[in-house]
Amino acid sequence: MKPIDPRVHQALDREIAREGLPPELALQVARLEAAAAVLGTAVSQWAGGSVEARVMAAIRRPAPSRMWRLARWLAAPHSVTLRIRPAWSLALAAAVALVTLLPAGDETPSVGEQEGIAQFVARFPGANSVHVAGSFNDWRSGTIPLRDADHDGVWRAAVVLPAGAYEYMFVVDGERWVPDHLADRTVEDDFGRENSVVIVRPAAR
Amino acid sequence: MRLWFGLALLTGPLAAQSVRVRLEGRVPAAAMAIVDSLVQQATQEDLPTEPLVQKALEGGAKHVSAGRIVAAVQLRLVQMRDARTLLVRAGHGPFTAAEVMAVSGTLKRGVPGPVVERLVVALPNESRGSALHAEADLVAHGFDPDSSAGLLVEATRRSLRGGRLLDVSAAVLHELQRGHTRPEALALVRLQLPNVPPAPKPPKASVAGARRPGASSGATPQP
Repeated sequence: MKPIDPRVHQALDREIAREGLPPELALQVARLEAAAAVLGTAVSQWAGGSVEARVMAAIRRPAPSRMWRLARWLAAPHSVTLRIRPAWSLALAAAVALVTLLPAGDETPSVGEQEGIAQFVARFPGANSVHVAGSFNDWRSGTIPLRDADHDGVWRAAVVLPAGAYEYMFVVDGERWVPDHLADRTVEDDFGRENSVVIVRPAAR
Repeated sequence: MRLWFGLALLTGPLAAQSVRVRLEGRVPAAAMAIVDSLVQQATQEDLPTEPLVQKALEGGAKHVSAGRIVAAVQLRLVQMRDARTLLVRAGHGPFTAAEVMAVSGTLKRGVPGPVVERLVVALPNESRGSALHAEADLVAHGFDPDSSAGLLVEATRRSLRGGRLLDVSAAVLHELQRGHTRPEALALVRLQLPNVPPAPKPPKASVAGARRPGASSGATPQP
């Protein structure tokens, strides 16, 4: 690289008159001034001013919101490095498959070996409430409600009881005592009516 | 010995008190004293008290008059005495409260005493309760008590036990529904023994959400 003659520097800094230079140095000065003019125009067009002005403009600009930054992050391409360990990957896949394929747990309560489930079904269209009362709940009429989820008049309840035989009746709308017409067994209640009888067999049979 | 005597002195009044607490407010006041004394009689005679308490609670819940409640509880006590007499006559050794209740319930459902006695003598302990229920089911549907009892004894001989005896009576009733006469239904099931179909287990969906009875119950189920 050819060093620049110090007189060129002096002429550019206006320390000496350009006219006093030899013609080849005067040509160098003219080219350098032309190049500086071109560069100056480009910088002002790109940033609208000096470096200082650009820094100050960036500081004054309001910070983008979180949503905007998130959107920009989501929209921008990212490079992801995935390093797979086959054993762990297979174990993870097996766990996911197990959770997905196994039947979801229902609300069936745990039933002991000497317990079973008594199912009560009755048809009372238009009733507001139906309960079952019997020797399994001290004949309390409001403790075991039957449900009619689809409002078709058929009321149902399932009750976990110790294995054995129980007498019962339905209580409709809190006051009307009605035997279970679907019951397999009935027995006189000694009050002039009949109780229904349910036999609960152990679940573990 | 002294300890047992002391415990007996303590538990008697405590049990009587707990019965009174259960009846309090649920049985008409006019019936309370008599029901209480009937329960004490049952205790003294070593008979189960729970059926008496249940009968009184049932009467109270159904808003039955005090007089009818007392009459029903008295009748229950008499039925249990009859059951115990039958068990003693059958030569059955020390019997449980559950057995007294099972025999009492079977007599109440119309099974003749001699047939009940025959089943008590013929069947092992673990099958007695279920056999009595099965026999009462068949008698309630018009089957000859002796023939029904004969089938149940035969089923036990063919190694069916406990709740499986209820499958026998269910199979007989199924044959009846299919149009066979009663003797035919009994004969058909006798031929199937011991391969009577088991009762279907309740489907999971139908028992989802099953609950336990909320009220504290001292009820002793019959076997």
